[in-house]
Amino acid sequence: MRSSRSADRSLSPLAGPTRGLFGALVLGAFLTLGCDASLAAPMPAAHDGEATPVSGGVLHLSSFADIRAFDPANISDGLVVELLELVFAGLVNYDDEGKVVPDLAESFRMSDDGRSYTFTLHQGIHFHSGEELTAADVKRSVERALHPDTPNPMSSFFSMIEGYKELQSKASEVLSGVRVQGKYLVSFHLTEPDATFLPLLAMHTLRPVCPNGGARYSDTWHACGAGPFMLPEKGWDRGREINLVRHPGYFRPGLPHLDGVSMTFFVNFMTEKYKLARGEIDILREFQQPDLVRFQSDPRWLPFGQYEADKQINGEMMNTEMPPFDNVELRRAVASAIDREHYRLLKATALRSATQPIPPAVPFHENDWDCQKYDVAAALDHMKKAGYPYDPATRTGGYPDPIPYTLYQQGLSSYTAQVLEQDLAKIGIRIQMRVVNYPTYLALIGRRKTTAFAPAGWNQDFPDPSDFTDTLFHSRAINDEDSSNYAFYASKTADDLMDRAKHELDPGRRATLYHDIQKQICDDAPWAFTHYYRFYDVHQPYVKNYRTHPVWTHDVKFSYLDRAGEGTRASLSRLGLAPAAILPRWP
Amino acid sequence: MGADDESLSRRVLREGKTKAGLVLVLVLVLFSAAGPLVSSHDPFASDFTFGISKEQTPLGPSALHWLGTDRIYRDELVRLALGGRLSLAIGLGATAIATAVGALVGMIAGFFEGSVVDVVLMRIVDVILAFPFLLLVMTLGVVFERTTPLTILFTLGLTGWLGTARIVRAKTIGIRSLDFVQAARALGQSTPRLIWLHVVPNVSPLLLVLGTMSVAQMIIAESVLSYLGAGISPPTPTWGHMLFEGQDYYQAAPWILLAPAVTILASVLGFNLLGEGLRDAIEPKR
Repeated sequence: MRSSRSADRSLSPLAGPTRGLFGALVLGAFLTLGCDASLAAPMPAAHDGEATPVSGGVLHLSSFADIRAFDPANISDGLVVELLELVFAGLVNYDDEGKVVPDLAESFRMSDDGRSYTFTLHQGIHFHSGEELTAADVKRSVERALHPDTPNPMSSFFSMIEGYKELQSKASEVLSGVRVQGKYLVSFHLTEPDATFLPLLAMHTLRPVCPNGGARYSDTWHACGAGPFMLPEKGWDRGREINLVRHPGYFRPGLPHLDGVSMTFFVNFMTEKYKLARGEIDILREFQQPDLVRFQSDPRWLPFGQYEADKQINGEMMNTEMPPFDNVELRRAVASAIDREHYRLLKATALRSATQPIPPAVPFHENDWDCQKYDVAAALDHMKKAGYPYDPATRTGGYPDPIPYTLYQQGLSSYTAQVLEQDLAKIGIRIQMRVVNYPTYLALIGRRKTTAFAPAGWNQDFPDPSDFTDTLFHSRAINDEDSSNYAFYASKTADDLMDRAKHELDPGRRATLYHDIQKQICDDAPWAFTHYYRFYDVHQPYVKNYRTHPVWTHDVKFSYLDRAGEGTRASLSRLGLAPAAILPRWP
Repeated sequence: MGADDESLSRRVLREGKTKAGLVLVLVLVLFSAAGPLVSSHDPFASDFTFGISKEQTPLGPSALHWLGTDRIYRDELVRLALGGRLSLAIGLGATAIATAVGALVGMIAGFFEGSVVDVVLMRIVDVILAFPFLLLVMTLGVVFERTTPLTILFTLGLTGWLGTARIVRAKTIGIRSLDFVQAARALGQSTPRLIWLHVVPNVSPLLLVLGTMSVAQMIIAESVLSYLGAGISPPTPTWGHMLFEGQDYYQAAPWILLAPAVTILASVLGFNLLGEGLRDAIEPKR
């Protein structure tokens, strides 16, 4: 029997998981009881305040995520944007207040009819590869990014440029709307005035790439631009880390201050916290809620923490083409039944109750306007109008069948779904949750007549309200697959308003139009807007000239380290690079 | 038979392990059965008024919520009890299925040892054994659009019989060659009758031991599935899913993690002790 006892264990398919989880449970119990929950003290700076910038040092960052590509023409994830901002400079960029300002361009002007923009480049700008940047490089880079063979997810945003259709259809190999007017002069011509052109141009997609980037995209190209940092040979260890080093020929004298910026990938939140405590990373922006509470309530860390801009909208998507949400009154009932405060309390340090589709950090968001709001009486009234009256006292009536609700396990959605279920039960609506993995969820909500009800969210691509309204609610954004209009909402009134707002250049008139657009969307309720998500970050006191940015996650381009003993040579040594390896081909 | 039964039950109860295991299991069963009935808290309702700390995080153990509140401010204790009902029911139900299937396959294969039937059945066992268990179960989970307690129960039951089949087969081969079985066969008893009258009674004690220990493994398996997100859809509580929900809060709100962890440990310990006690009582010479 002893042998059969051991055979029992070895044969049982459950034996492995049993032992594994058993061990994990015991270990977890010890960890729980044994871990120190207090925060390490911040590491002090060598000088108080923003003293004279110190050159040298490497800024260390980390993330739980990874980047898939490193090319401005193929931005496939959110994290890479932080790094592209360091390596690629554009004709224009966003200043600290989110306004579009010249960068590689010395100046720019718009024609009276709003259809042409002419940019005068700074002279003597050098790429990381050493060549001087000229207007021809700008045109080449734009055509490279917008060529139909380039896997550029943002390409269609630039359809307002003359010749875009011809380039996309391969009727032409050049983009006629981008014209080289001189060595340092380049102009863009649009088919009609478009308020989104400059905000889009300030993003990374069309930023100039080195001549070795060629006229066509290649996924084997080694990233090279004209930004303050450059990617050295072997600087990117895929799936592990990326190490950028200072561009010695950066066109702004004396900048950047840092010798390099390093980012490690796939680091979990808990490890990141300990890395910050040990000084192995200098900025932390990914937290578990309890840790965030600790950082925010610790007076030692409070001066070094800050919220990033609110540029994400989340809500409950209701597919307007599918029953029961083809009934507008039922959608309005859901939008009125959700207590946004309950959502906020799920992660009070990061969430804010949402009342409208445009998030607070995006132009034309209206503070103190409850475009949608929690009102159970109104929700019950809408249920009655929808044909499904519900009596909360007797709990009779309501929508007869459970409504399938598709969600994914990661993040907050499994918790918001359970709060949603409680809120909707008060008006006689039941939901039936279906948990799928995230890629499946994405495929399902973008497929026509597939998903009736699901959580949805949108993060800002560029700081213009059209990025939210047109992307999520314009009928042009409806596709049978990969629809970004998840609710498949089509309203001629809303479409007309959105089209007018896109081509309206006067800020006052745009504000009025976006008010009307939001009102129409809130009333038709393709989404019940529930919460805005905002990130918080903390940095070590020795990281100076650091701030969050209204458009980019945070701006570390011109930060510096005021930490004793962090010299250039030591930093390079930490990067595993000898100085000769990074001072290259460059005149 | 009567004297043997008394002797066996005395032996069973004499075993310290059995008593300890029985007490643990009974306490958990009682807690799970009665908890949701006696608690004033709704296991599915968040308490956004009193179940939340001033830092707006889950409330710790208090007079109102004895085990504190969970990630969305529901009473942890009542959810733990309700989760226990499901976890124990799945553990017992899946074990019943796995034991029945395993016993049937094992007895048929053992009785026809060396025949085509035996070879086919054992190769099926080999093939399924060679397939990673979690992958197999998760694949089955994906096939069903929405995972319910019944889905999990049958998935675990229909994939957890392999070890039992092999052990029962070996035991059956031994029984088949015993004199009284050979004599019954010579007297013309049919094969089903032989199995029913002579094999089943002799493998039953073994099945009892295997089954008791298997309950613990099934509870763990259900917890693993729920922990990995392939378990029962929310808001239905299971211990595994509660463990998953507690992991992010293990420092700030350790009760969310510890409560299901301790109950899983206790249930596994209880069923294992019970199984070992039974085995020692049934085969005292070991």
